[in-house]
Parts: sequence; structure tokens; C-alpha cells
Amino acid sequence: MNLSYRIYYIFLRNLYSYKRFIVPTFLVSLVEPLFYLVTFGIGMGAYIGYFGGKPYLYFLVPGVLVSSVMMTSSFECLYGTFVKMIHEKLYDSLIATPVSAEDAVAGDIAWGAFRGLISGTLMMIVAMVMGVLPASVLSVVLLLVLMVLIGLMFASLAMIVTSFSPSFDFFNYYTELFITPMLFFSGVFFPLDKFPPWMKTLSEFMPLTHAVKISRAVYSGVYNSGLLWSLLVIVALEVTAFTIGLKTMKKRLIK
Amino acid sequence: MNTLVSARDLRKNYGSLAAVDGISFEIREGECFGFLGPNGAGKTTTVKMIHCVSPVTSGALTVNGLPAHINNRALKKMTGIIPQEITLDVDLTVYENLIIFSKFFDIPRREAKKRIAELLKFVELEAKRNSKISELSTGMKRRLLVARALLNQPKLIVADEPTTGLDPQARHLIWQRLRQLKTEGVTLILTTQYMEEAQQLCDRIVVMHQGKILKEGVPSKLVAEQIGREVVEVRVPKEEDERIIGQLAEFSCGHERVGDTLYFYCRDGHGMMKKLVELDLHNYLTRPATLEDVFLKLTGRSLIE
Repeated sequence: MNLSYRIYYIFLRNLYSYKRFIVPTFLVSLVEPLFYLVTFGIGMGAYIGYFGGKPYLYFLVPGVLVSSVMMTSSFECLYGTFVKMIHEKLYDSLIATPVSAEDAVAGDIAWGAFRGLISGTLMMIVAMVMGVLPASVLSVVLLLVLMVLIGLMFASLAMIVTSFSPSFDFFNYYTELFITPMLFFSGVFFPLDKFPPWMKTLSEFMPLTHAVKISRAVYSGVYNSGLLWSLLVIVALEVTAFTIGLKTMKKRLIK
Repeated sequence: MNTLVSARDLRKNYGSLAAVDGISFEIREGECFGFLGPNGAGKTTTVKMIHCVSPVTSGALTVNGLPAHINNRALKKMTGIIPQEITLDVDLTVYENLIIFSKFFDIPRREAKKRIAELLKFVELEAKRNSKISELSTGMKRRLLVARALLNQPKLIVADEPTTGLDPQARHLIWQRLRQLKTEGVTLILTTQYMEEAQQLCDRIVVMHQGKILKEGVPSKLVAEQIGREVVEVRVPKEEDERIIGQLAEFSCGHERVGDTLYFYCRDGHGMMKKLVELDLHNYLTRPATLEDVFLKLTGRSLIE
């Protein structure tokens, strides 16, 4: 693998281009959480009432937080990268400079994670304004770190999909068969306790389940030893997906 | 003169297709070297290997004494690329395109700003400094690609069909700039399908076809050797070929029938003209031989797809 500090240059390039999209993306990042929190949290929460001693919103927020990181990071490295690679031919000019293909792809993954972090952070701010506060300042810091980890993981996974994608349509398989189901099987909106055993097992194979578990624990400040396993799953998947993503993208970029 | 690029039995396979099929050549420092050939001849593949974005399948390829390899950042640092396709960053302005690109080459910001101001002047785009890429004409985009290729003050410039799709004014401006660079000592590698472009710019050329080099030489000498001085095109029905070829034999040093036209290659156009008047043929044309004739003679006049 031929990685260098030039990853930062690609990140910088994306930051330059982001200036033009910053207002709409911030608006979307603000409206989306409000939509979830208001409809589910207040509408459904009114029926559900208290959940483990706290209002439903306390259950919902940590899950929605990591889902939003997942969505944003994934889409950035699916559609964003695909446009840059196929439509704008940006990678072609990048790899003719001292920036290597690996630098360029890693820079885009880092960018995808950064976009996820922005979405997650905005959502956290909205939640805090609504009175749903993390347990402590440490929780806030840990949540930010967690968002970066999750962002890198989903950005890398998306990069693998992009490297094999012949067209935009291909992304539907990934989003509809992988991303969307995770929203419902990972305990974002309701606990998984009442699921039959096979569904519980299935959910254990979903990376978002582990992200939600950690997020919820960190948000409430109540930890348990099972979280270490979840963290291990996330880090292992992240490192694996990153390595594979760089390889498969390089294969696509260099012919 | 020193050799800058040297290729020996260079090959590139895509699966079972041999895009470049064992070619050898040497490019000297400070010259303009042209790769000519129809679509799919292997020109672009060859130059992509030279500027280290495509791996070599087999054979030896060195640039500036270093082996060309996709991870050779040192070579990429001394090379400027004017790509065939317009690969500008459409999300950025003209200036941002250049400042970001200068980052990729680790050019310090102050130096980059100075070079960008000079280069925008060089390609006559000063007024478009803060324009979006979508607001530029094709000619302006190509000129910006030239400016971008010069940011790192390259020793070697690879121009892959740099004037495709341009109007004559824009094309001549690019040619002038490329010639100017050559006088400054830059080595230029050009691929093109425009014979006029090759004649205007190149010191030496190779004609490629189906991954192989068919001929190598100085453009004007190639024309003289391969074709002669003049070409006479006669439009007559095919049935009359034998008769006319016989009648013109003493003046011609070669002929070819393509479609509705009979081409005669000759050293003495004047004599042939007289004869044509004598034969009372009306539909004919005499013109100086060009590189295009060499190209067509070598690669065939029928369509290549």
C-alpha cells in the first residue's frame, strides 16, 4: 500500500469544493434529525412513555445519531466518489500527480467520515437543545470519537461497493439490501429483546447494531463489558474494509 | 543530446489484447516527439506508461534514468500532463483548480500564487481567474489544462491529443505555447491524429498501428521518402484504372485506389499535370504531399474501428 501525508491534500480539495454545498448540506443535516426526533420521539414517545426510567427520546437519540453518521458517510463514498471518478474524471488527473491512488481513495474515505461527523454532531446539538443531554462532558467527547470510527467504517464499506459499481443503479442494491434493513434490525427505534432468536443473531452481524449499543451506553454513561466486543467488531471491520476498499479502488483506477 | 525516455520491447496487455505490442524508441532531451496513429493504435497507452499511471506488462521503460512505475512519485513530480479528456475539477474555480493542484506537488503557497499568476497570463485566462469551470469554453478549458500541466515546472510534458475539439484560433494558441515551452528546453511528447499538428510541432515522429511502430523519422523526410513531393488525386471509374495507370506510369512512383479516387504519388507533378491535360481528364487535383498521406499509406485508407 502506497499511502502518504498527501491524503490531507485530497481532504483539502474536498473541503474547497464543499464551500459550495455547505448551506444545503447543513440544512439537510439539521432537518433530518428534527424529523426523526419530532415524529418518533414526540409522536410515538407520547404512547411509549418511559423507557428504562427515562423518556423515549433518551432511547432514540443515540441510535438515530449513529444512523445519521452511517447514512452520510455511506452516501458520500457511494455517490460522491462515483461522480468524481466516472463523471468528473477527477481521479485520472490525481493519479498523474505525486498523489497515489491509495492517497486519493483514503482521502475520500476520511472526507466521508468527516461528513458523517458533521451530521452526527449537528444531530447531537439538536438533541441537546431539546433537552436530551449526554451523561457528561466525557460522554460528548467519546461520542465524537465514536462517530469518527463509525464514519470511517461505513465510508470504507461504501468505497468497496463503489469500486465494483458499473452505474448509479448498482448502489440501490447496497442501500436497500444492507443500509436500510440495518435501520430496523439494529435496535435504533426499539429494543431487540422481543425479536425471535434468529433475528437477534442476524442483528449481531450488522455493524450498526454494535454502533448503537456503544452509542447508547456512552450517551447514558452506563457501560458494560459487552461493549468491548462491539468495539472490537467495529474496529476490525473498519480496518478490513479500509484495506479492501483501497485495493479494489486501485484496481479500478489503474489499468 | 541526452536520452530522456527509453523503451525497449515495451508491451502492454489488457487481458488477451496487446494494446502495445513490443515497441522500442528513444526520446531525447529537449525534442518534441510525436506518436501518430489511428484510434486504438496504442498511443495513449504508451504515453500513460511513460508518465507512470499505467503499469508496464513487460519490457524496459526508463524516464530520466529511472524505471517508469505507478509508484514512482519522483517521475510524476517532474512530468506535466495535458490529458486527452478534460479532467478539470468542476467543483472548483479556475484559481482553485490551480492552487489545489499545486498542493499535490508540494509547491509552497507563496510560490504557487506567483506561478499561477504567471501561468494564467501565459494561457490568456487572467480574466477568468474566479470563473467556474462550467463557464469556460472548450478552448479555455484546454488552455487551463496547459496551465495546470506547467504548475510543477516540468522537465517533461506529455500532451495527449491536446487540441481535440478546438477551433483554429484556439488550436494555434496552444501550438504557440507548446513551441514556446520547447524553446525553454522542455521535452515534449505529443500524441495526435492531426497531421498538421505533428508537422507544426514534432522534431521526430513514430507512426503506430495496432500496438506496433510502423515507421520512425523526421516528418518532412518521411513524407519525401514515403510519398514524394506531390500527390495527384484522380476521380475516375474503377474500370479505367488500368488504362490511366499505364498512361501515367512514367511520372508516377506509386499509386493507390481508394473508393472513387485513384491516388498517384510523384516526384514530378508538373509532368503529370501536362499529361492529365493531354488525356483530357477533368476531375483531378494536384497538391503537395503531406504527413497525412504517409499516415494513410502506412495505416491504410479504409476506416479503422
